[in-house]
Amino acid sequence: MISFNTFRSILENTLFVWIGLALILTIGGDNLFLPEWLQVIGRSHPLILHFPIVLLLFGLLFFWAPNLKAKKDLKEFGEISFLLGCNFAGITVLAGLILAQEDYEGSALEWHKWAGLAVFGLSILLYFIRNQSINFSKSLSAIIAVGVLQAGHWGADLTHGENFLLSPILKEEQETIALSEAEVFRDVVQPILQAKCISCHKEGKIKGELRMDLVEHIKKGGKSGPFVVPGDFEKSLLVTRINLPLEEKEHMPPKNKIQLTDEEKTILMDWVYSGASFDQKLEEVDTESELFQLASQKFSTEENYNFDAADPETILELNNFFREVAPIYPGSPALVVSYFGISAFDPNSLGELKAIGEQVVQLNLNKMPLNGVSFGFLSNFPNLRELQANFTDLTSDEISEITNLQSLTSLAISGNTLDDKSLESLGKMKSLEKLFIWQTGLSDAEKEKLEDKLPDTKIEYGFDGRGVIYDLNSPTIISEVNMFADSAKLEITHPIKTVEIRYSTEGEEPDSISSPIYKGPIWINKTAEVKARAFAKDWKGSPSSSVLLFRSGNPPKELKLLTQPNPNYFGKGELTLIDQIKGENNHTSGEWLGFQDEDPEVEITLADDQKPKELTISLLYHEGAYIFPPTQVEVWIKNTGNWEKIIDEIPTQSTDIKPSRFQALNYDLPTTEFKKVKIKMKAIKSLPKWHPGAGSKGWVFMDEISFLN
Amino acid sequence: MEKEILEQGLNLNRRKFLSKLSLGVGSAALGSLLIPDLFKGGSPDEDAIMSALPHFAPKAKRVIYLFQNGAPSQLESFDYKPLLNKNMGQELPESIRGGQRLTGMTAGQTSFPLVGSYYKFNQYGESRAWISEIFPHTAGVVDDICIIKSMHTEAINHDPALTFFQTGAQVGNRPSMGSWLSYGLGSENSNLPAFCVLLSRGKGNGQGVYSKLWSNGFLDATHQGVQFSNSEDPVLYLKDPKSMSRDERRKMLDQISAMNDLNYREFNDPEISAKIQQYEMAYRMQTAVPEMTDVSKEPDSIIKMYGPDCLIPGTYAANCLLARKLSESGVRFVQLYHQGWDQHGNLPSEMALQAKDVDQASAALVKDLKQRGLLDETLVIWGGEFGRTNYCQGKILEDNYGRDHHPRAFSIWMAGGGVKSGMVYGETDEFGYNITENPVHVHDFQATVMNLMGIDHERMTYKHLGRRYRLTDVSGHVIKDIIA
Repeated sequence: MISFNTFRSILENTLFVWIGLALILTIGGDNLFLPEWLQVIGRSHPLILHFPIVLLLFGLLFFWAPNLKAKKDLKEFGEISFLLGCNFAGITVLAGLILAQEDYEGSALEWHKWAGLAVFGLSILLYFIRNQSINFSKSLSAIIAVGVLQAGHWGADLTHGENFLLSPILKEEQETIALSEAEVFRDVVQPILQAKCISCHKEGKIKGELRMDLVEHIKKGGKSGPFVVPGDFEKSLLVTRINLPLEEKEHMPPKNKIQLTDEEKTILMDWVYSGASFDQKLEEVDTESELFQLASQKFSTEENYNFDAADPETILELNNFFREVAPIYPGSPALVVSYFGISAFDPNSLGELKAIGEQVVQLNLNKMPLNGVSFGFLSNFPNLRELQANFTDLTSDEISEITNLQSLTSLAISGNTLDDKSLESLGKMKSLEKLFIWQTGLSDAEKEKLEDKLPDTKIEYGFDGRGVIYDLNSPTIISEVNMFADSAKLEITHPIKTVEIRYSTEGEEPDSISSPIYKGPIWINKTAEVKARAFAKDWKGSPSSSVLLFRSGNPPKELKLLTQPNPNYFGKGELTLIDQIKGENNHTSGEWLGFQDEDPEVEITLADDQKPKELTISLLYHEGAYIFPPTQVEVWIKNTGNWEKIIDEIPTQSTDIKPSRFQALNYDLPTTEFKKVKIKMKAIKSLPKWHPGAGSKGWVFMDEISFLN
Repeated sequence: MEKEILEQGLNLNRRKFLSKLSLGVGSAALGSLLIPDLFKGGSPDEDAIMSALPHFAPKAKRVIYLFQNGAPSQLESFDYKPLLNKNMGQELPESIRGGQRLTGMTAGQTSFPLVGSYYKFNQYGESRAWISEIFPHTAGVVDDICIIKSMHTEAINHDPALTFFQTGAQVGNRPSMGSWLSYGLGSENSNLPAFCVLLSRGKGNGQGVYSKLWSNGFLDATHQGVQFSNSEDPVLYLKDPKSMSRDERRKMLDQISAMNDLNYREFNDPEISAKIQQYEMAYRMQTAVPEMTDVSKEPDSIIKMYGPDCLIPGTYAANCLLARKLSESGVRFVQLYHQGWDQHGNLPSEMALQAKDVDQASAALVKDLKQRGLLDETLVIWGGEFGRTNYCQGKILEDNYGRDHHPRAFSIWMAGGGVKSGMVYGETDEFGYNITENPVHVHDFQATVMNLMGIDHERMTYKHLGRRYRLTDVSGHVIKDIIA
């Protein structure tokens, strides 16, 4: 059993063994030949190095413990930790120096090597002078601690790649690259090599004598042959190696490293196939090719903005209910400002945007009343790409201010009147890619002149409606009632206030010359079909709209249904026909009697003093619902003797499907005395061929029978 | 009894305390792990979304989706198949149908006679796209649109198909596309909802639209689509009552808000804070909406472009014009539905009427956005929920036939917003039955729309009932070929 002090002195002595060996390896360097078993020790460097890091740092802590001298045990514990750490540091240095003989080269290796050696040397120094000066020890211990960490960091850079430690927090620095600027090698191929290959093929660690950190090295190739041969898969080791089975030793990346994805493989191979160019632009690649399809997704088609993002607080403050300030997409520094709410518009608020002036790339002021607003605020936006100011009542002075915007590529000022001065200003905006000037009152000659001045600008004039003649839409006839006792009031309206409305009350088509012009409400005092049409300059006259109004007349004494309506359309029975309530324009409203299987037949007994001159039968026609005009109408009268047929006619029959509508059949009655009237109608037995229900039975719908004196 | 009340109170407090504690500590820890920016300010909610979103530049800022509800026939619009005219009345070969399921409407049919388009087709524009004669205005903007002829879906009936298109699932209860975008991108203009819905109805056979189509699903209620009325006042009850001044309204809202806030502190129910925000938005809409919907300042050429119907509230043309105004005012997603495209019968007469309703205004919307410089940043989509069969439903007459539902191939078009213009994408076989080239599934379409808006559809998810949901469920590929 060796005593504690013996153990300590052994450890103190071994330190010198490590120093000696380290000196030999450092000075001997590449000239030494190392047996293979030493390589195993060398490769254990990444394992052993954890011991000195922990032990040294732990031991160093004790140099900072207050009043250490008085606590002997504690001091000894610290010292022995530190001494152990020094020994492990020595072993680590040795292993590292052996490992360095393998494929490592370059400045990163040098930094790591010398930092490691320095830590080792300084640690031994500190151990032996530990009792000399407390302050000196403290400072030295701090230096060693920093050294340990820094040496470790450089070491990590060697094994895991540059800046391995900090890359997760540094990645926000990455720039987005615009599709138009992307290059196939620099922006598509190289990033893959960097992510998956370069950690073993770069300065400092050149496996197979292949370096990928610089283009000239890539062109040169490695120990086994050329890296890429344009268009040749067989000879390009890049292609052959990545396509070897995973188990093969030569497969790249090695089995235990992160593998290439299928997409990355395709990109690399397509790059070789298409000639392995180092300076081709992505846009020059055939857009149908797989390379382009895969690669183009990685780049934004948006412009690349080279200004910093605005302060989020400021952006938040500038947002209100009537102004939206937002990045063009989350994460972009470029801002879009939109104004909403005409009545809430405050011209002074435009000045507030100065705080984010650099970042604003789109400004939407559509419909805001800009007339007379000072346009000096525009100078705040050096990066403005798109300005929308449709229907803003711009003055020519304001337009000339717009022309000062150097970065503007799209300008929409439709709905503003452009005078000569404005046109002249616009003609100077050579950088414009798109110009929207619909509804600006330009003549053809003016348009031509502007196009001459702006040959590269896509100018949109829009639709001016000149020479296009459409039908106006029909006016609307409004009547409160469609059955009246004495007279009814009619109003006619049209959504375009400037049209001329003409009407007729006898059922004939109104025309634009002789028919009366509608000026105000009209009064109707007999059963009539009122028609109206609208006319206006540059429009074709509207189709007519019509309404049928019924004068109810005097109710008879009694009405009897000789045949029964269909039970589903029974209304209020007999009463329906004389209740002086016009049914709605819908046969299911319950105000109609519907006959199908039985032909309608009614008998009316007139009131004692009733001497009617006219009879009106009001019907509903709606072919789509199988409701047709009756195929025959007979009217019979009787005084005291026999029934006498006075009318037997076939009303106008339907020829196609029309919307549901009213129809009135009017008949003059004879002047002779009669007490009773009988009406017989026939429903259509077989619908005509043109009807979808051809051959089926049709219906007759009836809602009122009235007599006028 | 008193004891119980006390106990209950204590329990409540204990439970509250514990649940809040665990929530607070747990979510803060988890949040900071998953969302590095969590403690960098802003509301955690917003930051969570923002960091979940990929940071790439959107091509489109806004979407206007012109949904043709009922499924317009591709064979009478954009998919020209002369073979069907040549082989009119002949049986659809079983090799083409390939056992495709049928709807209940034609399952009973013993014969499936091919039927060709009643309308003539012509080629237009640089893409030489075939467009039928009932869409003359659309043909006029053919160089600005991208026609996709190879859409396909999974559903075969209207409601599931429509729901699938809008929400990514055939059953209801999931958030609509507009809600997802509202959730992910928010509103540009905080005075208007981010997601607005406009309805119109054509003269053809119609199918219903239901509010579940613009539902926020499990997302916050503020992302629900706001349906505009198709009357003179697109948003009803915006005016203050006669006797109430604007200041009084403000005071009233402040009081309500204070009370809601008290409740919110008590229960922490997110619906309460959604309600507060909705009140506030409604207040701002009182001025924003009349300003925005004011048609009187529209020049005559606009009325001619959209057609005079655009002045009649509730028409498709009026809705297109309103959609432009909403979109121009910063509404993220405007969803139109036009009903009446379900031509099981009477196709020749009904489809012409339907086309007349929508053709001019749809094309006008594209032109109008273009002349204002807005088309580049606004995505316009036109299309239905599925296609229609190449065989006739019912009897073929000289000028009358019908087509049943067909989910295997149909056409839609997109314009602006980063989509390639003047392009025809995808192809169907000469029977117009199966896709032969570049199929686009509904989820692919949704993924593409999201991508154009700067969102990776695989990464925008929302956790609900223990799993993460996304608009494209578990599939969908961005169709890069149509992105400019």
